[in-house]
Amino acid sequence: MKKAVLVVDDEREIVDFLESFLSRFDITTIKATTGQEALNQYDEYKPEFVFLDIKMPDKDGIEVLKELKERNPAVKVIMITGSEEKEVQSQAKDLGAIDYITKPLDLSDLQKKIKEYIIG
Amino acid sequence: MSAKVNYRRDLEKAAKQMILIHRADILMKLILRMVVRATKATHAGMLVYDSKRDEYVTMVSKGKEGFRIPSGFVKIKKDNPLIRYFTDKELNFPKNAIIWDELEKLHNLKHIRSDKKLKDFLDELMSHLALYQAKVCIPGFFRKDLVGILFLGEKKSNRNFNEEEIGFLSVLASDVVMTIKNAWLIEDLNHQLEINKRLFLQTVLALSSSIEAKDKYTVGHTERVTEYSLAMAEELKRRKEIDDCDKFMEDLRVAALLHDIGKIGIPESILNKETSLDNEERSIMQDHPAIGARILEHIEEFREVLEGVKYHHEKFDGSGYPFGLRGEKIPLIASIISLADAFDAMITDRPYRKALKVEDALMEIKKNKGKQFSPQLVDVFMESFNRKGNSKE
Repeated sequence: MKKAVLVVDDEREIVDFLESFLSRFDITTIKATTGQEALNQYDEYKPEFVFLDIKMPDKDGIEVLKELKERNPAVKVIMITGSEEKEVQSQAKDLGAIDYITKPLDLSDLQKKIKEYIIG
Repeated sequence: MSAKVNYRRDLEKAAKQMILIHRADILMKLILRMVVRATKATHAGMLVYDSKRDEYVTMVSKGKEGFRIPSGFVKIKKDNPLIRYFTDKELNFPKNAIIWDELEKLHNLKHIRSDKKLKDFLDELMSHLALYQAKVCIPGFFRKDLVGILFLGEKKSNRNFNEEEIGFLSVLASDVVMTIKNAWLIEDLNHQLEINKRLFLQTVLALSSSIEAKDKYTVGHTERVTEYSLAMAEELKRRKEIDDCDKFMEDLRVAALLHDIGKIGIPESILNKETSLDNEERSIMQDHPAIGARILEHIEEFREVLEGVKYHHEKFDGSGYPFGLRGEKIPLIASIISLADAFDAMITDRPYRKALKVEDALMEIKKNKGKQFSPQLVDVFMESFNRKGNSKE
């Protein structure tokens, strides 16, 4: 079965770019641009992996992370954070996020993480 | 044939527009959109050096959805092969562009395949190009600094980029870089200007509070006079009765803050006297506008400010001091401060009399319309006062 990742970011362009990037590794993307939509999409598709933006207007990434972990403690979440958000990064790790990537990101790092965590 | 000519004309047109645009981000968008359209590439983007991060960050990207990289989303470090290709002096490549097809040819050459270091570099470079789905990278140098890299995806026709196109793209890239450099320069200048402005205003505030240290009755007074004065100026602005508003407001703010600066030259025994002043004391006290003017006269930029300080005790009917100027002879900046000053004096306690109630002070000001105060300014003051009162409620 094809691997699937839920990509959550309030910037549509970022979601689209990540979708196209992930498709190069034959990974399917489920898209969401708000926290609530992310939870709905998760409930519907139950993907194994989530890329989750921290800063979102409705429900922030930390809140979504908590709710995802309540639904399924085994879900693997990689946070997308700004470089200045050190505190949130460690908070996300404490809440069970497996890793984080900082914006602006290096595509080769992103590629490494995709290979490491998702393709395995 | 005709397509080629159009393409060339497009680029030349863009190059001309560039001179008119000073905002680097707008210019980059414009150029990239045009480049994508003219070359029919899947996408084009620009990596720009970010001095704070000491890295290159994608600033704009245009083209097909999913290909274009969101602005500010992706970075590359200075030791990335895409950068080193252009900046590493030991690498002996043509520095005008990275072209995928040329790299592929190189990669197959015997002498390169046997040079491990070079081969590894090429492998790494090509894998990075693949990450960006880039077929061509054009450097934008300013003198010796690599300021940005323009990258393009493959042409929808699958055709190669020809030499002429690479040439034009190079011209565009270096023009974009020039504009970026200019934009940075202007940003730096504006930043410096901001710092200087703040320093200036803080210096004025420090000077103005030095009077308060000496004369206890002026504590808070200068600030309020400044507030009333600026409110009147706002009203005049609304009525479109002042030209060059910004400059006038700046001068007025400074003049109002410094209007009593001359009191530094008045003995404390007079300034803080608890009873009425006798004739001699009063005449010394009335020297403070002239002393203030002397303190500020060496500051060339303060010509307007100086008028505000020097004439703030003149009265409309000519009965003021120290010059007994009359009517229109009194500069507007001084008339404004004079009215604000008088009003604040009325509504605060003095050692020899109690404060008036605000309504009584307003009556007093109306009564002096055309006598102590310019009739037009009294109207302006009343209006600004009402407006302020209403906005507070």
